[in-house]
Amino acid sequence: MKLLAGKFALITGASQGLGRELALTYAREGVRGLALVARSKDLLQSLASEIYRIRPNLNVAIINADLGSSVEVERVAAVTLAACEGRLDILVNNASTIGPVPMPYLLDYPADDFHQVLNVNLIAPFLLIQNLLAAMIDHGGSIINVTSDAGRVGYPGWGAYGISKFGLEGLSQTWAAELAKTDVRINWIDPGNMNTAMHREAEPDEDPTAWSDPAAVTDIFVFLASDSGQHVRGERLEAQSKWRARLQKG
Amino acid sequence: MGVVDQKPAFTLPADLSADRPPERRGLSRDQVRLLIIDRHANSFTHTRFDRITGFLAPGDLLVFNSSRTLPAALIGKARDSALTIEVRLAELLPDGTWLALLVPSSPKKMEELFTQGLIVDFEWDLNCEVLKQDRRIPRLWQLRFSKTGTAFLDLLYRIGQPIRYRYLSAPWRLSYYQNVYAIQPGASEMASAGRAFSWKLLLQLRNQGVESASITLHTGLSSYLDGELDRQHVVSEEKYSVSEEAADKIRRTRNSGHRIIAVGTTVVRALESAAAEFGGEVKACHQYTKLRITADYHLQIVSGLLTGLHEPEASHLELLAAFVPPEKIYAAYHEAIQRRYLWHEFGDLNLIL
Repeated sequence: MKLLAGKFALITGASQGLGRELALTYAREGVRGLALVARSKDLLQSLASEIYRIRPNLNVAIINADLGSSVEVERVAAVTLAACEGRLDILVNNASTIGPVPMPYLLDYPADDFHQVLNVNLIAPFLLIQNLLAAMIDHGGSIINVTSDAGRVGYPGWGAYGISKFGLEGLSQTWAAELAKTDVRINWIDPGNMNTAMHREAEPDEDPTAWSDPAAVTDIFVFLASDSGQHVRGERLEAQSKWRARLQKG
Repeated sequence: MGVVDQKPAFTLPADLSADRPPERRGLSRDQVRLLIIDRHANSFTHTRFDRITGFLAPGDLLVFNSSRTLPAALIGKARDSALTIEVRLAELLPDGTWLALLVPSSPKKMEELFTQGLIVDFEWDLNCEVLKQDRRIPRLWQLRFSKTGTAFLDLLYRIGQPIRYRYLSAPWRLSYYQNVYAIQPGASEMASAGRAFSWKLLLQLRNQGVESASITLHTGLSSYLDGELDRQHVVSEEKYSVSEEAADKIRRTRNSGHRIIAVGTTVVRALESAAAEFGGEVKACHQYTKLRITADYHLQIVSGLLTGLHEPEASHLELLAAFVPPEKIYAAYHEAIQRRYLWHEFGDLNLIL
């Protein structure tokens, strides 16, 4: 039995990096359907083609959207609800923008960029959860927010990105508290350093080969989305630490 | 005796139209006012919606309509013409075409335009062919759009706006027209009886032991922008769905003797239609209904109703008369007017128990 059999998942930021790996992994793990959101329609279509090679008849909704706009978030929610027929099991808020590169100090940060980063990294996850909760609450579901160590430590130059992740950690904690008596679980994962286009862009002088391949951290996302992870709620998890041993100990 | 046969028994002052959502009048969505009519006593209670918890008991079942509001108003251009046409989607038909109200920008009659063969173009390369005029409701036309399914829905959200009426103070965004629990996109207009439920209140009711279930009936247009046609209360045929889970909860609630309270007149129509279809029992189904519920209708399933406050000539008033005599509704409405309750989708609510 596949770990995600019968479940429908929405993944934001699905066209590249971790989001793309998650889409492929969830398809392999037997999901009933996928709603995939990203700005690039071409990259999403190419991902969908790859998914169809694994699961030719899988219900895949491609949603080309910029999550920096709250109107776009409403469209994403509506198309997802139609595609999953009103029953969503997994929501992965993975989409992030790093903001302007090279990354300016806060003192130099353009206000419009600051707003845009908060809109994509913090407001969109808030609105997606708010819009889609009704499709999860009766039967239970798993919400996973992708955070970063920049959401716990104020690194110079990581400006709006880091602040948005501080916000996302607070958002996750508050949702977890408000939904404590329901069957909807919220957890947030820090995937650690990954060799992704966004990370390479943010730190062009670093050696990306020292960073993890996104495919190496998808197992925790499968675990949390699956029924095996249903006892885990309101937790911050680090994908590259010994999370499995800790969680299995309960 | 039906309300529809009588002259309007009250006049609604224009300033009692809610022109903005409660959140834009300094209230939270669950703080609108609530007028409670006791079906079995001659008394009315005036309270606030978030205090509804005090009037519901463990085991009571609230039945919601899960229909989610579409941005159902689209502005397009008649092909090869300078004419702008507003398209208000009314109903998705089984063959994938839509019934819609067409409002041309000039007084030119739609019938004249149609004889020339009509295609309406929208942004994002969407277009629709106008196929024919509806026989029962001549203000409606059958349209075939160039996209269907989720591709159409995606474009609708890029192009459309919520259907709005003149009493509003601003073009409120679509998010104001959603019930928090709505999960099935398809309503032309918000099934507004449930708008005041916040998640906090829903979770509170759940913890209190009040049960909930959902049906789906996509609400159509509340007005054809034609006073005479609107007054005729043409009963439209509507599709509704009841899930196995909802049917089970309804059966269990009836067996245990608790109350089944419909959140909105659409829910009354769906549940009573299902009961009429299956010999007095609600079963899981996807059906069409033409059922008209009036004062002399014997309700089989629903014992309570949460609804908005309706205009003097609204067809919903005749449905309310199946719960309480019209004169009692009017007496309650007179009090509501004296106390300056607000009408329409962002307004106050009425609970009949």
